[in-house]
Amino acid sequence: MIRIRVNPQVCVGAGQCVRTVPEVFDQRDSDGIVVLLASTAPDERLTYLQKAVKLCPSQAISIELDPKP
Amino acid sequence: MDSHIPMADMAPAFPFQRTCPFHPPPQYAAARAAAPVCPVTLWNGKRAWLVLRHVEVREVLSDDTRFSGAMADPDFPAITPARVTVDKNERAFVGMDNPDHDAYRRLFTREFSVRRMLALKPQISAIAEQLLDEIEAHGPPADLVAMLAVKFPSLVMSALFGSPYEDHEFIIRCAVARHGLTQSVEEAEVKARELAAYVRRLIDTKEARPGDDMVSRIIEEHVRPGKLSRDDFAEIGAMILRAGHDTTTNMIGMGTLLLLQNDAMRRRLAADPALIDGAVEELLRFVSPVQYSPRRVAKEDVVIGGVTIPKGEGVFMPLASANRDERMFDAPDTLDITRDASQHLAFGFGIHQCLGQMLARYELQIVYTAILRRLPNLRLAVPLEEIRFKHDMQIYGVHNLPVAW
Ligand code: HEM
Ligand code: SF4
Repeated sequence: MIRIRVNPQVCVGAGQCVRTVPEVFDQRDSDGIVVLLASTAPDERLTYLQKAVKLCPSQAISIELDPKP
Repeated sequence: MDSHIPMADMAPAFPFQRTCPFHPPPQYAAARAAAPVCPVTLWNGKRAWLVLRHVEVREVLSDDTRFSGAMADPDFPAITPARVTVDKNERAFVGMDNPDHDAYRRLFTREFSVRRMLALKPQISAIAEQLLDEIEAHGPPADLVAMLAVKFPSLVMSALFGSPYEDHEFIIRCAVARHGLTQSVEEAEVKARELAAYVRRLIDTKEARPGDDMVSRIIEEHVRPGKLSRDDFAEIGAMILRAGHDTTTNMIGMGTLLLLQNDAMRRRLAADPALIDGAVEELLRFVSPVQYSPRRVAKEDVVIGGVTIPKGEGVFMPLASANRDERMFDAPDTLDITRDASQHLAFGFGIHQCLGQMLARYELQIVYTAILRRLPNLRLAVPLEEIRFKHDMQIYGVHNLPVAW
């Protein structure tokens, strides 16, 4: 399982994460800043989540592999 | 440490010239092979540094602590004398560091969110179809720059922002006055003032008669509650209008020409419209239309890729170099719409990464798809030699694109 964290403080609302993993990331209606739809994702989504981490221009996303089911 | 860094007086003059209209200046590849960072000499005799590889461009643009994007800083590097003056007078967040940058940008991020832009897609499609109707009615030959590349983003910006379409020629003149390489200081500055004054008047108009547009929404959400002054909004609005017109226009012209030059690729894309998403990313990577931004100034001595950039010196990140970095992209000089180009930096990186990127993506996906579907036998109506490339502009593209079908 993958744990996902976002830091809305540094997000610049570029939307790269929403575009890359739409089932995990969304933008708040009020200001377009990142919000998590899910704080965990199955291991199969690792490639896409890693891509979102890399694409985020302001290092607002971190992921961690959690061995526990 | 790299010992091959030439002395300042040996640093070549920047900007460089292209030798092929479809590729960045060859000096980038040569310098990129030698070192990640290369010193150059600007028109005013000042030394600046080019950061040429993908990894280091991301590194600099992510580092707000050691690099500043404050355009008013007298050390901020500028490509022309006119640019020095418009930079000094830049009041919008594109020229600010944090915390001010994020505070202002966040008043506008909602307007460009993925959801908002998705909702705009039907309107964008309708605009593309309408312009292609006009082109079909006009018949061949037609200049795709004048009839489509310029009008399409103008109509989209008009619908989104709320600026009357009749004003688009004025807005484009203002954008071009800033984005040229040869304009006078006065011309650039006068047009900067005129555009901000224009948006300021538009704010008054929309306050009196609100519509379903960005200006009216921002007034309601931020201006009336006192979170944003009318004058600040005018400066930011002017920046958004300039950024929204000239960039997309150039991607439409240049992208279409590249598809015309690569017939097999064009047929493949026409046959499989699902490829359009990746194709747009690859065209953005390959063209990288923004040539002399992003720029930063070192706030302290910083070592990048083993080279020390002294405090107070300017840094250019030529995105066309990072996007052709062989360490990041295989066969970078080959246009391949099926590659994964998603790591391209055509929209920049860091806190200033393009605010309008989702709009630009959808505009380009829609317009290329519509062109291929509506004009399946599209071809150049003149020899390639008659295409005028924008060697005279900071944002690269074509001045004309006469086509037949
Ligand atoms: C293909 C089209 C486009 C390209 C290649 C592009 C490229 C860029 C680049 C490279 C930057 C970063 C500049 C820097 O770091 O100094 C930028 C910033 C910006 N762009 Fe775009 N852009 C495009 C379309 C648009 C559109 C359609 C809009 C709005 C309607 C827009 C609005 C902005 C704004 C407001 C900024 C400043 C963001 C900030 O400083 O936080 N751009 N763009
Ligand atoms: S990619 Fe990063 S900056 Fe952009 S919306 Fe997502 S978290 Fe925010």
